[in-house]
Amino acid sequence: MKKPMIGKPDDVKEIQVDYTRLRIPFGPVHPALKEPVSLRVTVRKEEILDVDIVLGHVHRGIEALAENRNLVQTLYLVERICGICSHSHTTCYVQALEEIGGIQPSERALYLRTLIFELERMHSHLFLLGIMAYEAGFDTLFMFTWHVRENILDLFETITGNRVHHSMNTVGGVRWNVTPQMIEKTSATMKNVEKSFKYIYDVFQDKTVEKRLCEVGVLSGDEARELCVVGPTARGSGVDMDVRRDYPYAAYNELEGDVSVVVRKDGDVFARTEVRILELLESINLIRKILEKLPGGPISQEESLLKLMRKIPEDETVSMVEAPRGELLYFVKTNGREGLWRLKVRTPTIPNVLGLKPMLIGCEIADIPVTVASIDPCMACANRITIVDSANEEAKIVGLDALWRKRRGGEK
Amino acid sequence: MNTAATLFLAFPAVFIISLLFEGVDRKVHARMQKRIGPPIIQPFYDFIKLFNKERIVPVTASSRIFTAMPLVAAAASILGAAIPLSNIITETSIVGDLILVLYLLAMSSIALMVGGSSSGNPYGAIGFSRKMSMVIAYEVPMLIAIVSLAFNPCHSLTIYDVVWTQIKMRSPLAFSYLSGAVAATAFLLCIPAAAMAVPFDIPEAKTEVVHGILVEYGGPYLALIKLAKATSSFALTFLVVTLFFYTPALFEGYVSLGHGGNLLLCLATALAFMLLTITVPRTVFARLKIGQAFKFYWIIPLMLSVASVVLSVLGL
Amino acid sequence: MKLGVILRDALRSLFRKPVTVQYLTKAGEMVPVPERYRGKIIYDKEACIGCLLCIRTCPSGVITATEEKKVKFNIARCIFCGQCAETCPKDAIKLGSDFEMATHEKDELIIQ
Repeated sequence: MKKPMIGKPDDVKEIQVDYTRLRIPFGPVHPALKEPVSLRVTVRKEEILDVDIVLGHVHRGIEALAENRNLVQTLYLVERICGICSHSHTTCYVQALEEIGGIQPSERALYLRTLIFELERMHSHLFLLGIMAYEAGFDTLFMFTWHVRENILDLFETITGNRVHHSMNTVGGVRWNVTPQMIEKTSATMKNVEKSFKYIYDVFQDKTVEKRLCEVGVLSGDEARELCVVGPTARGSGVDMDVRRDYPYAAYNELEGDVSVVVRKDGDVFARTEVRILELLESINLIRKILEKLPGGPISQEESLLKLMRKIPEDETVSMVEAPRGELLYFVKTNGREGLWRLKVRTPTIPNVLGLKPMLIGCEIADIPVTVASIDPCMACANRITIVDSANEEAKIVGLDALWRKRRGGEK
Repeated sequence: MNTAATLFLAFPAVFIISLLFEGVDRKVHARMQKRIGPPIIQPFYDFIKLFNKERIVPVTASSRIFTAMPLVAAAASILGAAIPLSNIITETSIVGDLILVLYLLAMSSIALMVGGSSSGNPYGAIGFSRKMSMVIAYEVPMLIAIVSLAFNPCHSLTIYDVVWTQIKMRSPLAFSYLSGAVAATAFLLCIPAAAMAVPFDIPEAKTEVVHGILVEYGGPYLALIKLAKATSSFALTFLVVTLFFYTPALFEGYVSLGHGGNLLLCLATALAFMLLTITVPRTVFARLKIGQAFKFYWIIPLMLSVASVVLSVLGL
Repeated sequence: MKLGVILRDALRSLFRKPVTVQYLTKAGEMVPVPERYRGKIIYDKEACIGCLLCIRTCPSGVITATEEKKVKFNIARCIFCGQCAETCPKDAIKLGSDFEMATHEKDELIIQ
């Protein structure tokens, strides 16, 4: 059978194919990744030469949905951007609204917000330490860390009624008060988990774990500053930044002296893990201080939520908090009629994920899961799409159904 | 019982005993992590369930090799486990059958390796290259440790001769001769790599390369591969017991246990060694990288096995 | 050099009871439900005055008005935030402790 000829005979060229290079999709679906991100790595034997990062697999159109809802409905929408850092998202949003409307929450409300914030930080770091151990092949430490995490989830259930998505915040205060029995239970839990945290720190210095985590995924201090990474990823590379100390919010104004920031200089995966473990121990101190200084008083405003919403004028503001993964930034523009013109969410994973490329080049394939886990990726937070039309020079955000319609060949 | 009948009955016996060993391994591993764990006969349920699943062969695979390799691996390791088992019962051996057993176990690993790479998946190719490095790393100390048996005191490479020497001395080889102890240590260090348990399960890492060499296998092929892995770990632990730690030798002359008693004591010792060398490292260590594992095997176990040959030549 | 640090804890766990709660596989075993848990909606129809304020604050469109100036809840869409219970001026809405709401009939998920 004659083979069809493609192109004229003298057009055929010799292409140089480098057969030693292999391109693997460390795809959206992989046992090492908790959330979908597409890393296309080019390897030669076991050494990584190049990394291509593609986000966007869990785009839900949250910023577009927020434009059609009133302020209270957006509060619950924003809480569900992420499961683990849900309290950080609501705190940031509510702080923005309170700043626009000139509403001052009571002292007790601020302290309770900070209490749940620190508990959530502990929960998130424990979650990540378990995942890190699992990626390194150490199942037992994964089970152990997650068993310790159950103590903190029990505390959440007692105080707010839910394990994640606490819905603690409301405009002008918090929704759930803390009784003296809950304070006692919190103190007892803190004593228990302190012993467990020190044990976890010990186990992470085991020789086989050290061989997996040390000197891999190195991000130098200069590269960290250039790429603007935030949170424990930056603090592990020597960049001293923490929103709780630099721009205090909630009750951190009064706890100034007690916030101590943990910084390490090595920049490898073990440094970032160590930063998180030590932050766990710091959170215990902060929670003890909060419980000591907890003032009395009301926890929310006297007016009802609907009346408060009507008081918020048309204005814009930026608000920042220190989520467990880094600095979380919200730009909120209200429209004076209980709605929003624009909500922009910049989560900490967006700059951190760019740090993956310099970290991974030169490492082995076996280092990929551990390195990806060490930046604590929360891809659910990090998927935003803005369509920039360079011909008309306009940018607009799109919702999910608009993207679906476009894909099926419908309208523009 | 004559040899042929015993060898024939040893195949179902190996099948049942090795899957029970795997069940105990999973149960103990789960209990150490504060979980309940699957029932001990779970591997039998898995085996039967997998045979009910569809046979899928990828388009990019070389299908003849892909479908034949699991069968080769399972057959080789079942035979390799049946030989020491039947030797204990019938008290005879073929000359040089230790070399045959080691060859069959190596062939089982290599068949798995080739099957993994024939699937056409890039993860399979990575698993193949890792497994090649691992095989070069752990086979060398294992074979050199066995060679030390050829000198003092056994002077032969036949399994039953080694057993008979231990019975005559009334104590296991590892407790009476220094060369035996050193060789046993080197052999025990090589077992986690041969049985693909953490910290040396690098070719089959779940979180790094999606199970490496096993990535495209499912259904009946996966059932045969899991059987091959279970029987080869059983074969290795039973071999260690037969050659170096033959505990019925301690009772020789005091009380006669009979064939059944001997066999049960050997199986109990094999279970203890499996817990020591496969389950505990699986629970307590993290996974190493391929370069680090290679370096480890070429330093410590190799030194130990060469030392055991030297000591054995010197007569210690 | 620390090697096998977790061995002590692993061996201790081997001889203790596992921490799994065998919910639904063994009869009667359950973790106790906390008192502030936000479960299935309990609607007091007599106390409701039909102000329809709850419809404005519900984030997911669970609540719809009926002809007789009362409301109806479709809890298939509910996210159990509890905002309707807070907004109601007559305390006609409460969130109970029932969380086992899986059913084959979609009509069971409408509360009026």
